[in-house]
Amino acid sequence: MASKSIPTQLIYLIAGVLIGLVAGYGVFSITAPQPRPGEVPTGEGRVFTIGFTLPLSGELSSIGKIWEKVVRLAIEDLNNEVKAFGLNITFNYEILDDETKEEKALQNVQTFAQKGIKVVIGPAASSQVKVVKAFADENKIVIISPSSTAPTLALKGDFIFRTVGSDAGQAKALATLAHQEGSRKVIVFHRNDEYGRAFADFFINYFKDLGGTAVSQPYQTGLADYAAEVSALAGRVQSEGFEAVVLVAFDTDGANILSHAAESAILSRVRWFISEGPHGASELLTQSVGEFAAKVKLYGTRPLFIANPLYIELKERFKEMFGLELAVFCENLYDAVKLAGWAIIRAGSYDGEAIAKALVEVAKTYYGPSGWTAFDETGDKAQQDYGVWAIVKTAEGKYEFRDVGVYERGSIVFIEVAYK
Amino acid sequence: MLPQVLHRAYLRCPKMPQVSWDVLSSLTVMVVHYSFLYMIFAMPLTLSYRTTKVINFVHSNFITYGAYVAILLNGLYGNRNMLLAMASAFAIVGGIAVLNNIAVFEPLSRRGAKPVALMISSMGLWIFYKYLLYTIIDLATHFSRVNFVSYPKIVYEWIPSVSLDSVRLSSSFIATSLSAAAMIVGLYVLLEKTNLGRAMRAVSDNPILSEISGIPKRTVINLTWLIAGGIAGVGGVLWTSYAGAITPEAGDSMILQVFTVGFIGGLTSLTRTCIGAVLIASIENYGITLLNQFFRVETSYKPFLTFVTLITTLIVSPPLGAGGGLPYRLFRRVGKSA
Repeated sequence: MASKSIPTQLIYLIAGVLIGLVAGYGVFSITAPQPRPGEVPTGEGRVFTIGFTLPLSGELSSIGKIWEKVVRLAIEDLNNEVKAFGLNITFNYEILDDETKEEKALQNVQTFAQKGIKVVIGPAASSQVKVVKAFADENKIVIISPSSTAPTLALKGDFIFRTVGSDAGQAKALATLAHQEGSRKVIVFHRNDEYGRAFADFFINYFKDLGGTAVSQPYQTGLADYAAEVSALAGRVQSEGFEAVVLVAFDTDGANILSHAAESAILSRVRWFISEGPHGASELLTQSVGEFAAKVKLYGTRPLFIANPLYIELKERFKEMFGLELAVFCENLYDAVKLAGWAIIRAGSYDGEAIAKALVEVAKTYYGPSGWTAFDETGDKAQQDYGVWAIVKTAEGKYEFRDVGVYERGSIVFIEVAYK
Repeated sequence: MLPQVLHRAYLRCPKMPQVSWDVLSSLTVMVVHYSFLYMIFAMPLTLSYRTTKVINFVHSNFITYGAYVAILLNGLYGNRNMLLAMASAFAIVGGIAVLNNIAVFEPLSRRGAKPVALMISSMGLWIFYKYLLYTIIDLATHFSRVNFVSYPKIVYEWIPSVSLDSVRLSSSFIATSLSAAAMIVGLYVLLEKTNLGRAMRAVSDNPILSEISGIPKRTVINLTWLIAGGIAGVGGVLWTSYAGAITPEAGDSMILQVFTVGFIGGLTSLTRTCIGAVLIASIENYGITLLNQFFRVETSYKPFLTFVTLITTLIVSPPLGAGGGLPYRLFRRVGKSA
């Protein structure tokens, strides 16, 4: 008898607990106050939280750490602006580290979704955006990436927005730069990821259209050192007679590659052209890389509305507040925060679909440090200008990044002589 | 020079793929450089395992912390003296290794924790130290306004670079070669000629018997951790003179190579660990460059080559005698069928 009664009691106990849970949840759902997800009502007004998934560790951590400070500055500015308009609204932010990893970025977006947050800024890398896309579309989470540029992610009707133009444009600018500088046979040394592969494909196509020859040489990402890859590159450059190397890299790998290339006699004899990734990385401002840049007349392209007073103002304020230079895409991140805030206000309801629609409208009339932010039909920055950067020696004998040219109507116009 | 003569003779062979002397010589220097670096990174791993029986994942933190001791000294105080950086890294990283043992491994061992439990605890420490470093760097960046998250190569003073004919040996190469030689000689003298070394070997061979013989096992293990952590930290300092950009992920990015070298050494033999270092350096550098040059194999396959070596090592000659390795299993099968 005893052996039969124990399971029966257990079943009653489990059933009781389940009924209690269901009843308790029902009562709580009816009686508890109903704050909108991601929005916290306070005595002082409405508070919205914007989620950020940033690369605070991992491969892009050097820029991620700088972006973290840009977020603070942008949120502060956004709140001041909102108050100036007499609105009783405050924006908070929550930053999660995605370790520059795809799956971690997805986890972060899922965490934000569980908290009811409908607007997430980041992730940084195109490979990460690709991974979070399906979840964001399914759950109507507005994703605004300030730095993903892979043309393969320029898709209509999704919830992915990018406050930077796709690399289809930059690849064209870089191909024009290399061709205009006299290179006809180039090797594209690129990251073997979404960003690097897409950039290389577009570059090669444009360069061929211009009448040149280009081949690709991918390298594995996330390594501690790229000496062997640089050595292999030197071998190919010499044996196949390439006139220039086009490097498509992030900051840390780019700096590593250039420091090894600076020690190679073969690679010091050809021209070098670089994507926007390594721009702003302090590791490039060493004597050896600076001398190498002058020797090979190194030029890079980057998304930039040159001589934008708002960008210059942001740069100076940032330097004053944190003592650091702006890293790559800081201006795009700053604008992403402002756009997100005003889109939430304009949407009228805290709903992903409404915010996405409002975001497009807000962007049409917003002008910030990254320029005019209007989106095209795929959710990418519609009007993207490109500048040409170089590593230049200053009067004090140090090295600095300088914007020395612009891409305009299909050709590069230099506004300053970088190398004598 | 003889190598150049041989190279010229090779180039005369009509059907052989052509590699220029510039590429070949710089590649060879790189292989030697990497061999020394991997020796300095991996030998302390072997040394610590054979005495303490802990598969220590914190080892990658040791390398990173060593690098960051040099970086913080350089960024905050302008230090370019490599010996000072090495001494500081040895003391700090060696101290961390001893602290790990006293605070984590020793208490767990006393409670009867198995090697797997110790390995898992070392994984926990690995994550803890990784994020502790990010915190330290954040604070240093905040107060000094220097970006420590990604730091350029440090050019140390007093270390010359040497040019031999057309081959240039960088100051980093000179420093790494001298350090590796000093480490090998130092470890040989320590293990073969001193009482401490004999005690370390005794603890490694038979811990129970050594304790009965009156060897202070606890002191020997702590000293082993100090030396192992210290050498790995010195390796980190050397890395700052070589790599173009150093990040808090530096040690983690090398974990595959360092453990593969250690596994080739069976985590017990220092000589085999040295051979492993040369093997991995050759496979990674000669292998991928020549495969790329001759067969257009993409350089992104480099980690794959290391991984294949790791898998092969684990199957043919696994460390710790697990399963006895492929030869043993084959012999056993033959013996059984007989």
